[in-house]
Amino acid sequence: MNVGIEAINFYGGPAYISVRDLFQARGLDLGRFNNLMMDKKSVGMPCEDPVTNAVNAARPIIDRLTDSEKNSIDLVITASESGLDFGKSLSTYIHDYLGLSRNSRLFEVKQACYGGTAALHMASSYIASQVSPGAKALVVATDVARAAAKNTYAEPSQAVGAIAMLVSDRPEVMELDLGASGYYSFEVMDTFRPMPEIETGDPDLSLLSYLDCLDNSFKAYEEKVEGVNFMHTFDFLAFHTPFPGMVKGGHRKMMRELARISPDQIEEDFNRRVAPSLGYCTQVGNVYSATLYLALCGLIDQADFEDFSRVGLFSYGSGCSSEFYSGILTKHSKAVLSEMMIGKKLAQRYRLDIEEYDRILDLNMEWMFGIKDKEVELSGFTEIYEQFFKGRGLLVLNRVKNYHREYSWS
Amino acid sequence: MLKDYIFKILKENIIEILPEMPEEKIRLEESLRELGANSVDRMDIVVKTMEAIGIKISMVETAQAANIGELVDLFYEKKRLAG
Repeated sequence: MNVGIEAINFYGGPAYISVRDLFQARGLDLGRFNNLMMDKKSVGMPCEDPVTNAVNAARPIIDRLTDSEKNSIDLVITASESGLDFGKSLSTYIHDYLGLSRNSRLFEVKQACYGGTAALHMASSYIASQVSPGAKALVVATDVARAAAKNTYAEPSQAVGAIAMLVSDRPEVMELDLGASGYYSFEVMDTFRPMPEIETGDPDLSLLSYLDCLDNSFKAYEEKVEGVNFMHTFDFLAFHTPFPGMVKGGHRKMMRELARISPDQIEEDFNRRVAPSLGYCTQVGNVYSATLYLALCGLIDQADFEDFSRVGLFSYGSGCSSEFYSGILTKHSKAVLSEMMIGKKLAQRYRLDIEEYDRILDLNMEWMFGIKDKEVELSGFTEIYEQFFKGRGLLVLNRVKNYHREYSWS
Repeated sequence: MLKDYIFKILKENIIEILPEMPEEKIRLEESLRELGANSVDRMDIVVKTMEAIGIKISMVETAQAANIGELVDLFYEKKRLAG
């Protein structure tokens, strides 16, 4: 049975800040700018939250389905480290605004940036189990950076965005090599969100933990799949991308250890097999649980590939849990994804200058976890609202009333 | 002897990754971070050094070394145990 991603889309917010502008304004060392390999980072507005981002990613997929296809979705899993309630899952709002069948399972999963992969594999295993023949699952990974993380080297990469994936037995975008997955997980306190306003930890330790997981999850994959070779089995690679420079470092380390080729050959291999996956990541930043799938979208849209190209995917979530797995792309994958026009939509984002960015960050700070009653005031970002939202049928947050979030279409 | 050798290899790799670094600044009590190596530079230095002396330890474990001297001690212990 073929199982995997039938459709995928990314929502990357209405605005961005140039990472170079941010480095200059914050007085960060420009020597580290090149190390990040980042160009822009997406910024959300106070009328947005993990629910609106998720729905705005999913709706173009759902709108293309027939009624019977839409009604065959009986599982909605949302992965997030930016949840809005300890009990009620994000899936409940997302399911409602997408108008999905009430005969559905709804829940949320969390394991930092690994959450999206955990959800994808749980949904795929469900489809493959055939307990609900003909069913489809909606998997969403949606996250927002904590607005308070100013003036750190993490600030330029912490972004907002959501991925929606329709998982089914018609994997038109990517068929999974079911069962070909290596896992590696252990307890470590690298980066975490212990309080509504805090996103913190030790980014250096996180990088080291990421590298250990890449190494060991690939080893676990190798033990399960016969004849695997890191250099030759995969036509392309897509890794979780906290910042593209880290992916480059991770690839370099793996190639040094497993391929024993010259630095020039490693660079050539990086440009050929890895760089296409970074195309969108350099334009958006780290979108946490959605990041690996943003990398996958970049790869599909920007790489030049033949039918039946195998991609190796590495997912890492702080804390930590990780997985190395693989899937198959075809030329049809490109045709299906191109309908979503991800690149075009990213190009339509509003460019914020530093004053606007700081003002939006302050406004977003007012919308932290735990709000009971509050009305969204459009006056703080009228120009952006007019340009990006108005009349475009995107979901926006209007207010929170006795903890309940109320949304409407723009 | 072995420790001196490990320090020498480490020093060579620091200079390779940070070509501007004057050799005399690389002392046991300095940390790679204080010498100006960013997280990706440190990874490259550690990976190259482990490869050259023929050991492999988890990257997270290397984070426990607070300075170059402790990193040398860590590599030395691993090499000694590995025979």
